Amino acid sequence: MSTDKSEELQGTLDLMILKTLHALGPQHGFGIARRIEQVSEDVLSLNEGTVYTSLLRLQQRGWIRSSWGVSENNRRARFYSIHQARAEATGR
Amino acid sequence: MVSWFLQLVSRVRGFFGQKVADCEFEDELRTHLQLLWNRFVDQGMPPEDAAVAARRQFGNLTVLRERQRETRTFLSPGVLVQDVRYALRQLRKSPGFTLTAVLTLAFGIGANTAIFTLVHAILLRSLPVADPSRLYRIGDLNDCCYYDGFENDNGDFDLFPYDLYLHLKQSAPEFEQLAAMQAGGSSFSVRSGSSTAKPLRAEYVSGNYFTTLGVGVYAGRPLLDSDDKPGAAPALVLSYQTWKADFVGEPGMVGSTIYVQTHPFTVTGIAPPGFYGDRVVSRPPDFWVPLANEPMIEGAGSSLEIQGEEDTAWLYLLGRVRSETNILSLQTKLSGALRQWMAPRPAFNAHGRAALIPRQHVVLAPGGGGIQKLQQYAGKGLRMLMILSSVVLLIACANIANLLLARSTTRRAEVAVRMALGAARRRIIRQILTESVLLSMIGGIAGLAVAYGLSRMILILAFPDARNMPVQTSPSLAVLGFAFLVSLLTGVTFGTAPAWLSSQAKPAEAMRGANRSTGDSSSLPQRALVVLQVAMSVVLLAGALLMTESLARLEHQKFGVATANRYVVQFDPQGAGYTVDRLPELYHQIEDRLSALPAAANVSLARYTPLDGSIWGTCVIQQGHPAPGPNDKCFSSWVRVSTKFLDSVGVPILLGRNFSAQDTQTSTPVVLVNQSFAQHFFPNQNPIGKHFGIVSPKNSGAFEIAGVFADFTDPRGEVTPLFLRPLAQRYAGYTDPEAISSEKSSMFVGSIIIQFTRPQQDAEAMVRRTLADIDSNLTVFHFVSYDSQVADNFRQDRLIARLTSLFGILALILASVGLYGVMSYFVARRTSEVGIRMALGATRWSVLSLVLRGALGQILAGLCLGVPAALYAGHLMTSFLYGVSGFAPFAFVGSTLILGICATIAGFIPAHRAASIDPMRALRTE
Repeated sequence: MSTDKSEELQGTLDLMILKTLHALGPQHGFGIARRIEQVSEDVLSLNEGTVYTSLLRLQQRGWIRSSWGVSENNRRARFYSIHQARAEATGR
Repeated sequence: MVSWFLQLVSRVRGFFGQKVADCEFEDELRTHLQLLWNRFVDQGMPPEDAAVAARRQFGNLTVLRERQRETRTFLSPGVLVQDVRYALRQLRKSPGFTLTAVLTLAFGIGANTAIFTLVHAILLRSLPVADPSRLYRIGDLNDCCYYDGFENDNGDFDLFPYDLYLHLKQSAPEFEQLAAMQAGGSSFSVRSGSSTAKPLRAEYVSGNYFTTLGVGVYAGRPLLDSDDKPGAAPALVLSYQTWKADFVGEPGMVGSTIYVQTHPFTVTGIAPPGFYGDRVVSRPPDFWVPLANEPMIEGAGSSLEIQGEEDTAWLYLLGRVRSETNILSLQTKLSGALRQWMAPRPAFNAHGRAALIPRQHVVLAPGGGGIQKLQQYAGKGLRMLMILSSVVLLIACANIANLLLARSTTRRAEVAVRMALGAARRRIIRQILTESVLLSMIGGIAGLAVAYGLSRMILILAFPDARNMPVQTSPSLAVLGFAFLVSLLTGVTFGTAPAWLSSQAKPAEAMRGANRSTGDSSSLPQRALVVLQVAMSVVLLAGALLMTESLARLEHQKFGVATANRYVVQFDPQGAGYTVDRLPELYHQIEDRLSALPAAANVSLARYTPLDGSIWGTCVIQQGHPAPGPNDKCFSSWVRVSTKFLDSVGVPILLGRNFSAQDTQTSTPVVLVNQSFAQHFFPNQNPIGKHFGIVSPKNSGAFEIAGVFADFTDPRGEVTPLFLRPLAQRYAGYTDPEAISSEKSSMFVGSIIIQFTRPQQDAEAMVRRTLADIDSNLTVFHFVSYDSQVADNFRQDRLIARLTSLFGILALILASVGLYGVMSYFVARRTSEVGIRMALGATRWSVLSLVLRGALGQILAGLCLGVPAALYAGHLMTSFLYGVSGFAPFAFVGSTLILGICATIAGFIPAHRAASIDPMRALRTE
């Protein structure tokens, strides 16, 4: 039962990340977390590290790509963006 | 699908370059935390609080890192190695536990692997020949060794005369090759050069035997069709093992001449190493001889040459079908050919027998495993042992699960600390499972050694006369795989519950009261496991008692023959070159010389001895009666014996007289019959002086009954009609050629029985020396005390009974240890509770009964489950039991009592320990 719930949550999180990247363009993990926090309060409450698990999985499945850049506080950060070819192929 | 594939690819990629990915991820995390901190500080938090808030907001770092690593690639080898190393450390820390667990597992897994080794080597193997899947046998039963006329009541034919073999071969071109081979086997005396003759096993085979099987030779050439023609030069092929062992691997063997029953044969080839013929037996043939040589070797007793009107069926048929043959239609065709062959033959159509022809048929059975004789003999027993050994393993699993549960409860604090420090629940479960599987793997490796020893022991006990037996006990790949799988399964079985329970630990609770508890959540599964163990042990114990009792009844039957101080020698005058007219002289010499040995009482000669497993049967026709029809029960066994036979086996004459020296070739042909013969053929009459005959009504006045002797039984306690004829009288009245030749071959005896008045230590040496003095060519095939010959009949029963007992005792020990372990553990956990109770005024007796009550409850529950299960098991075992019902009350009362007593003792010791707790000390330990 608990796995069902967490899987559902993960699916929701995946979708929210894709929506965020689609709406705002390339973002780093922190930015994605902030956006999701705005949109829905309970998905990430107190556990926003899980976006990284979702990001890694989406990347492995070829939905998103990442590249290194610099964050607002001048630190090295990984920026994620939607993989266009793949998104168009599935009709988005 | 695509995304799944992409994920796989990236996981494979992720497998490499882990370090880099780890570092990069650390960077990302640090950036993220920093940004969170900045945000909280901007909101006005003090910097320290902001750091804590950022961590809280972010979540469990350790879990995240691990999950990231796991997602990146497969089950991370790093984690696995970590787990294994941690598990090894844990096991090393408690050597007592590890040793107990490994030993328990070694026995459980070892017993299973041993039985599997035998199942694999005997039941599941294919012949070492080319493309065994295309081999089919005509016939699916194992009748042996010589038959006349119809074979089975349902018309199933499996044993064929030579002529029928040729007929079937001709009518079924679907067979690329169809080979015939002797159903039984013979021991022959074989001499090469000037060495003394040795007894070797031979099998008669058709010339295309090796071609059919697709087997070449190690040296020389195989037998060919041209070797199997009348008039062809006698040829044989030696087995590789025999060539190595009996002819010291002499390179000049091929092409040389050896003497089989004094006839010269050329060794044309040596079979490849590992080839053991067409069936798995404890003594495979030492050499193969073409069928065409059978008349020369067997002389008057030949089965190949048609004598008279009846063909003797003595061959099994094994053929290689062409690919894409429809087996069912081939079977129908062969059955038709069989009936067609029978129709014109008097053996199958005279005296109303033709009515039975329509139901005659053959069944085609897959022949890739060879003739399934041993498989049928051993299969049932092996399957039962397989079930028993898996029950033992289950009990072992329950035991170890219990030990682990006890351990996991004491390790609760440790688990709680690890969880508080951020270990994921999954990780903890995996870690504990790793430990269990590791434990069972170690147990499995130790079990392989146990399995090797046990399977060897079983083989030696089951087949003491084995020679070159093609059954390997050294662990093969399949056996290793089996042991690995069983170990893995075992580990998961006993590890799951403890792993699950410890992951349920609530860190805060566990840390608060680490060692203070009265009842805890793991006590229920532990009790349940003990109940299960008790129940399964009752089943095994009841089975063991039933089998042991059945064996005792088999062994202590009144067979009706005396065996003490008696020895049986098996020999073969024909193999030493004797002809019928020279036999009386030889027999006299043997009787006289052996009787002259110190303390020898009676010496006799017989074609077969009672209880040696062979009989000669015939159809009896009372004087003046017509030829019996197909449904008349005219069967009787008969044996050719010397004058003192009945004295030498201690069977009394009940009516009339015994044989005497006055019974000679010129006096009236007399017979002695047993009681059941007299009752069956001459009910309510005085049989003395009555006449009967065999073969045909013409001869029905042939023999006069001179006396009636007491019945003796076969190994299963059954009595069939039996008559004895004296060696001194050869019946001269036959006209049928087959009857004449079989009368002639009945003059060759196979056994000598020697009775001593007291135990003789060097009987064997004396007898062998005396026989060699009489004629150095006389080969002794077998020398055995009559007691052990009788005991040999129950070898398989004894083995199964012993193994069942062994498993039963193992189960009893495991269950007792299990109960003891659980009870001691409870007592240890409840020390302080007991202390308080006693401080409040509880007596020692009430503490004792408190603990003992818990133990007895589990024992009783186990018995309640176990007895019905044992009843069911007894029902399943009925076919293994002799003279005992599967529901015999003694087995259930006995097993309940034994288990009850052992378990109570196992429970009493910890209860006593609890009762002797000093309340002051117990309270102070807190």
